[in-house]
Amino acid sequence: MTKNIQNKSRRDFIKTAGATTALTAAGVLGAPLVARAAGSVKIGIVHPVTGWAQYSGSQARFGAQTALDEINAAGGIKSMGGAMLEAMLGDAQSKPEIGAAEVEKFNEGGASAIVGAYASNICLATTQAAAKHGIPHVVDVGVSDKIVSRGLENTFRFGPGFGAVTKAGVENFLAINAAAGSPTKTVAIVNEETTGFGAGIAGIMTKGLAPAGIEVVEVLSHPTPNKDFRNIALKLKEIDPDVLIPSHYYNEGVLFLRTLQRQKVQPKAIYSVLGGASSQFRFVSEFPDAAQLVMDCNHWFDPSNAAALALQAKTNAAGLHFNYEVFLAYTAMMFTVDAIERAGSGDRAAIMEAMANSTWEGSIMPYGATKMDNGQNTGARPLVTQVIGDDIKVVAPADYASAAPIFPRP
Amino acid sequence: MNERTRLFGWILLLVTLAVVPLFLHSARWIDFLEMTLFVAVLGQGWNILAGYGGQYSFGHALFFGTGAYIQALLQVKFGLSPWVAMWFAVSGGALVGAFVGYLSFRYGLRGSYFALITLAFAEAFLVLSRSLKSITEGGQGVQLPLNQDPEQAIATFQFNFAGPFLSEYGFYYTIFIILLLAYGLTAWMERSRFGAQLVAVRENEDAAKALGINAFKVKMGAICLSAGITATCGVYYVQKFLFIEPGIAFGPGKSVEALFAPIIGGLGTVLGPLLGSLFIHGVGEMTKATIGQALGGRPGVDLILFGIILILVLAFLPRGLVGLLEAIWKRLTGGRNA
Repeated sequence: MTKNIQNKSRRDFIKTAGATTALTAAGVLGAPLVARAAGSVKIGIVHPVTGWAQYSGSQARFGAQTALDEINAAGGIKSMGGAMLEAMLGDAQSKPEIGAAEVEKFNEGGASAIVGAYASNICLATTQAAAKHGIPHVVDVGVSDKIVSRGLENTFRFGPGFGAVTKAGVENFLAINAAAGSPTKTVAIVNEETTGFGAGIAGIMTKGLAPAGIEVVEVLSHPTPNKDFRNIALKLKEIDPDVLIPSHYYNEGVLFLRTLQRQKVQPKAIYSVLGGASSQFRFVSEFPDAAQLVMDCNHWFDPSNAAALALQAKTNAAGLHFNYEVFLAYTAMMFTVDAIERAGSGDRAAIMEAMANSTWEGSIMPYGATKMDNGQNTGARPLVTQVIGDDIKVVAPADYASAAPIFPRP
Repeated sequence: MNERTRLFGWILLLVTLAVVPLFLHSARWIDFLEMTLFVAVLGQGWNILAGYGGQYSFGHALFFGTGAYIQALLQVKFGLSPWVAMWFAVSGGALVGAFVGYLSFRYGLRGSYFALITLAFAEAFLVLSRSLKSITEGGQGVQLPLNQDPEQAIATFQFNFAGPFLSEYGFYYTIFIILLLAYGLTAWMERSRFGAQLVAVRENEDAAKALGINAFKVKMGAICLSAGITATCGVYYVQKFLFIEPGIAFGPGKSVEALFAPIIGGLGTVLGPLLGSLFIHGVGEMTKATIGQALGGRPGVDLILFGIILILVLAFLPRGLVGLLEAIWKRLTGGRNA
């Protein structure tokens, strides 16, 4: 009896599983055809919304999707008679090969352009896969300069790369230091060395600071993830540098700055370059004391731009944090849409040409008129922010500053 | 299942795999098949050591990463042709396998101790690849120069811009050929004296030794073969994506991928890793296209369903999908050819 019941249920299980498999297979194979809708332009949005980069990927997806929704609400692509934009969402699962597979799906689904894919290693794979099919791909965040140095005609990055951010980081710091009477003589760099962006910081900073007579007395590298910064904090306490320059991801940034606070390490300034937490509203709201007066040279929006402030309100209303992932992805999508508008069609080659020749000025970022050189927007630059009270203010360069830098710290 | 039926089944399967992309006319599904075959080869590498030899490794990324890094660095730093570099990469992977094997088997490490030492070596290589910046470029990874000249496609072993046929099918047939070699080698091993000795060591090492089998030598042979096949996957990965960094090379991701396919498909069988990989990728794609699409605003729900299906398979099919196929065949033929 028991055997019968077991046999029957197993058979039923196999039958049900087989039927489900067949139905879903039909669904999968038929999906690209069903998805095609008339009078719309499809844009692939690929981010790591699961896996290790899930938080940032989800933030970036929100930014891109919000831009797309705003364009549709404003009447779509005017030059195409009000054609609506249709998002094709892809999850790279924080793996480059999955990101590339998502691009293949976008190609089959008829995407006119792609926006994504947050992490540099995923961007390298997705841009390459998109190039194979001639699909214009706008990189939203990926800061590795390798992304735009391979001669791929389809690849564009609207924001600044790692080299430009670090160079601006040195220049802005020297300007702030000089304005305060050059109190900085020694600097210590604390950088993550696991991924591309943190690994190159120390060399560029050391080289840039030396002509101003500022000595880099210590470079303390750590892996990502890193669960304990006590040794590094104690070492810093012993060296007592005038200024600390950290560079790491969000979790490490939070832990590092909190450890400094607990160990009472109090340099004249903490000046991050691409600091993971140093200019994040989430960090400021959760740990306001640890965040106070921390400066960061990073991606930042034009604080006087009304559209940027509206996006900030929208992001907060959605229960998310208005971080660089949101406004970079939002801007990358707006840049893409502007190119489609000027191309007047969903033709990939025409959009690519429009992107290459773009002079778009409507961005919420402090980049001025767009000028693409080998796919890199040459006007893209970071700003220096400082946590003052419960807000994050822009303190340099002067033409975008919303507050004067508090340096050295009182 | 008799030999003739088995052979017929294999021929049918391989011919299907050889011709199916030509009828698909879909880069998306060809890419899907490519990655399926890639994991099938990765899984076969693990299966030789764990499935046939009973030496469970938790760190096969060590061999994958070694192959990938040697392939990339020899081209970038020394300007070697990828066709030359690949022999060093595969040999390098096998050598690392020999090194780990010698240290482990020489001192009688088995079971969970061997699993831990492979995991430890993979972690050590992960740290080394991040630290030895002058050699490995550290966390920035190694990027191969991109070739966009169709005439140089074969010379550079890059098919993305290789003209109509190669750009569409080049990497598919590359991994298909690698699969044929890896599976052919495994099938040969299964029938050879070496394979029989390996299985004997898996079943009872002491008894095998008592019968005069040199267990150390047999296990060394298995780990070298396993590592070499896994390193070939590293070569393929680098040529396809033109980029490798420590996390991808030596992180736990590839180790897990390598063991999942044979465990689901059927441990210690030639077909198991391929069936397992087809199942994992097929189910993954279907859950993504159904549940994932329906709940687009909630990413990851499809992965939960995928996980549940995997648990069900592991719970109800202890011999994997190969065991299920054999049971079905037995029922169909009334046990005549079982």
